Amino acid sequence: LTAVSEPGLGALAVPARRDGARRRRRFDAFPYLLLAPAALMMVVVNLVPIVQGIRMSMLKLNQYTLSQFMDAPFVGLRNYRGVLFDASNPVHAGMLGALRNTALYSLLVTLCAVAIGLGVALLLNRDFPGKAAARTLLMLPWVVPTYVVGTLWGFMWQRDEGIVNHVLVDVLHLMDHKPFWLIGGNTFFAIVIPTVWRAWPVLMLIFLAALQAVPEELYEAARLDGANAWQRFVNITLPALKPVIVIQVMFQIIDNIYSYNIVAMMFGKGAGYPGEWGDLLMPLLTRQSFSYWRFGEGAAVSFVMMAVMLVVVGLWMRTFRRSMTDEA
Amino acid sequence: VPTNLTAVNAPAATPVRTGRWRAAAAGLLLGVLASRAAAVELTMWVMPVTTNAQHDVPALIAPWLAQHPGVTVRVTVLDWESGWNKITAAAASRRGPDVLELGTTWMPAIAAMGGLERLSAAQLAEVGNGAPYYAQLWKTTQVFGRPGVYGLPWYADVRAAFYRTDVFRQAGVDPKQAFADWDSFRAALRKINGTMVAGKRVAALAYAGKNDWNVVHTLAPWIWNAGGDVLSADAKHSALDTPQALRAIAFYSSLAVDGLVPANALEKDSDILEGAWVGGDYGVIFSGPWLMRRIFEAPPGVVRANFDVAPYPAGPHGHETFFGGSNLAIFKGSRHKAEAWDLVKYLGGKASQIQLSLLSSMMPARVDAANDPAWTTRHPVYAKLTAIAADGRAYPPIPAWGPLETVYTKHLGQLAELSSGIGDRYTAPAMRALIADTVVEADKVLEEAN
Repeated sequence: LTAVSEPGLGALAVPARRDGARRRRRFDAFPYLLLAPAALMMVVVNLVPIVQGIRMSMLKLNQYTLSQFMDAPFVGLRNYRGVLFDASNPVHAGMLGALRNTALYSLLVTLCAVAIGLGVALLLNRDFPGKAAARTLLMLPWVVPTYVVGTLWGFMWQRDEGIVNHVLVDVLHLMDHKPFWLIGGNTFFAIVIPTVWRAWPVLMLIFLAALQAVPEELYEAARLDGANAWQRFVNITLPALKPVIVIQVMFQIIDNIYSYNIVAMMFGKGAGYPGEWGDLLMPLLTRQSFSYWRFGEGAAVSFVMMAVMLVVVGLWMRTFRRSMTDEA
Repeated sequence: VPTNLTAVNAPAATPVRTGRWRAAAAGLLLGVLASRAAAVELTMWVMPVTTNAQHDVPALIAPWLAQHPGVTVRVTVLDWESGWNKITAAAASRRGPDVLELGTTWMPAIAAMGGLERLSAAQLAEVGNGAPYYAQLWKTTQVFGRPGVYGLPWYADVRAAFYRTDVFRQAGVDPKQAFADWDSFRAALRKINGTMVAGKRVAALAYAGKNDWNVVHTLAPWIWNAGGDVLSADAKHSALDTPQALRAIAFYSSLAVDGLVPANALEKDSDILEGAWVGGDYGVIFSGPWLMRRIFEAPPGVVRANFDVAPYPAGPHGHETFFGGSNLAIFKGSRHKAEAWDLVKYLGGKASQIQLSLLSSMMPARVDAANDPAWTTRHPVYAKLTAIAADGRAYPPIPAWGPLETVYTKHLGQLAELSSGIGDRYTAPAMRALIADTVVEADKVLEEAN
């Protein structure tokens, strides 16, 4: 490859040769040619919809103007003001409750999924008969699509016919009466538990892969130094897994804030409103903008959520940047 | 092959062979062009009106096809969940089928979007200006407050109380008296609640809660029968907070508060509840004609031999019932509007509607078809449904009904949850507060349309 003077292309170029007179500048299009299809796809798949979405968020785009689509009346930032600050705006209704639920839901699901995933990975990171079969079987919840998870658990949570109450009350005798899971405050747990159930196996697999990369010598040395199991976990395992945990926690937070499928399948046969304790931001957004045919405002909420998510991810990456780069 | 072509085009060297080839090619081309000119392929989108609509709808239009040799019809069966998105996308893009089925509450929205072809005066005259159809259903082919008709009613959904005659008999309740008015209905439910039949404890009444699409349709007749309405007369405001509507909502909720609707019904949807009613779990359920299909498709049981229907119990202002169903319309972007109209007109005819009803158990949308012995003598219940349809009432055909129904379903579903006794306690002020929230949100949605 010939030298190029543009900064940041060092990896693609041989350092420029100085002959004392002047630097020769010759543009090589080949690397750009290789990158072009991917860049074009990125523009088509990501950039065009994002730009169109931003434009939509500034239009009065509803069922009466939908046929005009991008030529619908321009309203500037009015949609943003309406969905964020106008208490009488239908898209805004119940948003604080959904925000609270989403925060709690994301926190709880992430904590539980990471904890269970890590715990089971530690158990599987040792030799025992049937280890491969156990690993495969434990992955089964993750194989089930989220839509199916929502539908199945919707049946499992039914008070009288559902298997959950049957196991809790009739088999294990942990309760003296069958509670309602799909009505009232328990709705929150009815969406948290299936999400955790589906999320932890893949985390387990990732943690297991990371655990197997930890040199056994470290544990042997620690044992010789008299470290007990807890000390070995805190001082060897956790630091070794930290880069993986940090990234997986970030992915979990993103996934859970954008969570939609399980709630939609469990409670989506009516208006898609699971009640005060089951409503999350994405189901709310879908119901109260798209089912209400308020597409402009829906686009505005989507961009607000995207901006919030960018801030969250940015802060997370800034805080744990060193841990993440340690992985490499 | 026309021989004159051969003669004209044949070169001297190989007059016969080349000439034949050319003539054959020209003939083939003309043939293809002629056949393309004559062939018309109509596309048609329908909902799963029968259990096997992909087979039944083509069978239904087979006689029409026999009379139109140059026409074929490609039928696509949508489902009720995704159909709305597909149809609105088609209406917005102006690219869709030639003929489509639309739920009666969907039609005004798609018409207002400019997605449907408005019927001409001549076309309307061909169908007697709607006179053969139930007037309430004919209303749903139009847009509230605007002139124009956009389709023909295809089949009807009329709601009635399906009840277990054996349960009523065992509890010593006269069904005629039970469905006479609200008080007698409550008294009857109290009597039948918990009746043991064939070793099974039967709950009095089933209606669904927040996870159901029927919440508004089931409640609306109670409101109408109390003298209220779901919308103001000008259709610009919600009318759920009028004293009449509140009275109906209070009565309806009290059935669950009093334990006549078990709380476990409120966590289910209509589909599951109808299955449970067919399985013998409940004494009464408000449902539509499709339940007949379900009753007779289920394994023979005690319910099949012991059920009947009754109209909604009369309220202070009558005993109207919900009247809905589906209409057929011609898509605005259709390139074969004449053929499409001919097909719609055929499917809106008496014979075709009877045939569809026999296939689907949905009631014909034509008065003459609904009173035809082929329908009424099929089972005594069908005749009763036809009688009940005389008191059928449809919602005002406003374009904003879709969003409005989502608002109503969301809040009224919560009302069901409140009356379940799980979580917050049901009180009259709590109910009124919930309805007040509903009205605020509904009015905001309606404001957009005004």
